[in-house]
Amino acid sequence: MKAKIAILCAVSLAVLALSPFVGAPLEGEQGRFILWQLRVPRALMAALVGGVLSLVGACFQTIFANPLAAPSTVGTTAGATLGALVALVLGPALGLSSYAATAALPLTALAAFAGAMIVSLPIAAVAASGRARVNDVLLAGVAVSLAAGALATGLQYTADQAALQTALLWSLGHLPQVGYRDLLMLLPFVVPVVIVLLLQTRALNALLGGEQRAFSQGVDVPRVRALTLGIGALGVAACVALCGPIAFVGLVVPHIVRLALGPNRRVMLPMSLIVGAGFLAACDLGGRLILPGRELPVGVITAALGAPTLVWLIIRGNRA
Amino acid sequence: MTTALHIEGLTVSARGRPLLDGVTLSLAPGEMLALVGPNGAGKTTLIRAALGMVKAASGTVTLGDSDPRALGGRDRAARAAWLPQTGGVVEAISALELVESARFRFHETRDESRAAAQAALARVKAEAFAQRPVTQLSGGEQQRVALAAMIAQQAPLLLLDEPANHLDPAQQIATYKLIGELWREGCAVLCVTHDINLLRFVGGDPARVRIAGLAEGRLSFDSSLADPFLADRVARLFGVRMTTHEVGGARLILAEDGP
Repeated sequence: MKAKIAILCAVSLAVLALSPFVGAPLEGEQGRFILWQLRVPRALMAALVGGVLSLVGACFQTIFANPLAAPSTVGTTAGATLGALVALVLGPALGLSSYAATAALPLTALAAFAGAMIVSLPIAAVAASGRARVNDVLLAGVAVSLAAGALATGLQYTADQAALQTALLWSLGHLPQVGYRDLLMLLPFVVPVVIVLLLQTRALNALLGGEQRAFSQGVDVPRVRALTLGIGALGVAACVALCGPIAFVGLVVPHIVRLALGPNRRVMLPMSLIVGAGFLAACDLGGRLILPGRELPVGVITAALGAPTLVWLIIRGNRA
Repeated sequence: MTTALHIEGLTVSARGRPLLDGVTLSLAPGEMLALVGPNGAGKTTLIRAALGMVKAASGTVTLGDSDPRALGGRDRAARAAWLPQTGGVVEAISALELVESARFRFHETRDESRAAAQAALARVKAEAFAQRPVTQLSGGEQQRVALAAMIAQQAPLLLLDEPANHLDPAQQIATYKLIGELWREGCAVLCVTHDINLLRFVGGDPARVRIAGLAEGRLSFDSSLADPFLADRVARLFGVRMTTHEVGGARLILAEDGP
């Protein structure tokens, strides 16, 4: 067990550390600039976003008691996407200038968070009522996702050309060319999210024994559910605002970790964070290498890996 | 002196139908009470009300010294532990990990949780499968792990819902003997069951094993295992003929077909 944890950590961190050095050879002053000002911050961004999405996914799976629950399946990502799109499309129209991701992050993040919460709160309320079955909650999430998706498409239809181009690239889910400043802007959002979620470990572990039993053991189940959902939505919103809806990371990584290390949340939550960091860095590297001279948005890679995984999980779940 | 559990005039309704109808019941610390009654009589609802999981339409529930619905989670878990009827384990967590997580109410290190969990598993003789996933255990093994989780919570009141359901005879006896041990160690026990005859394995003086009957949400009798008219009371409760048999010094009550 300890050896497995060490190997997974080592592989994830090695992928993360080596990913900036893979690709077109870097030489001289320009090479140093590309390495330290472009590739390294981007790898760090991949690590941060991948880690947070995976941790949130692992927590959502626990509170929904469903292996298919992830930010992208319970509506959080869709809500954040809709909110961020509103900011991206309507922002220029309202005369908010300088639409670089950097300058816009606080606004976009705020809009994404608002969108994520507007979608997540009714679902959290349903979950916290104690009357709904977990599958009802998941279905509500799917319904809200579809509605938010339709609104987002409608919004893009009304957007002008320039805004549409921005919105399209963004909505594929990509890691933008960021500097260290963007990383520093993301940190105050995601660090508290990670801390609060990891502090829930014992309660989430108790939930594995069934929600009623967890309640009798002293876990305030509605509170844990609402807190995890709300804080998770905040983390997802921050990531979505910067990188767009990077799908399936929060679904796939917790499954990899569980298959390798078992379902104990004491191991699964921190390891989802670490493996998720390495996983998204690897996906981003793949996006840089697959088409020579061009970059594939990382969201395309994760979707290509995630969709079959989702189908496989459903088929396996039906058999069990 | 406070009670372990005091229920006063409790009425609980669901969709206009009363599940419990003006039940008054008190359990002293260290007392053993078996709650019997037909399916749907409200036995499980009574346990859920004791834990504050259902809302009372009228009446009060006092768990230890407080209303369970006003208590914080850890305070509630310090007053009563529950053995639910169904497993409800959703993932392939190991038996040891499941029992460890029952220590939620304690602010303690992981090693302390682990030591307490191992002690509880030893208590139910489940060390051999402590590392195996709960979902792969047999029904009897799962029930022993659930008992260990309840023991690990170290609460002064144990709420047991059909603890011997789906167990083979040897396991049934072992379970009731364990319940008897916990009772003699000072726990108050509220045990919901259909099978009065298993109660003799709790041991001790039958007059000290209280039996209350619950039918259609109402308390129909409150007596003890030593009650000479127990068979008649239970017969009325279940609506079947009951006969009493003496076998090797033990008194058995058996249901018969016909009037």
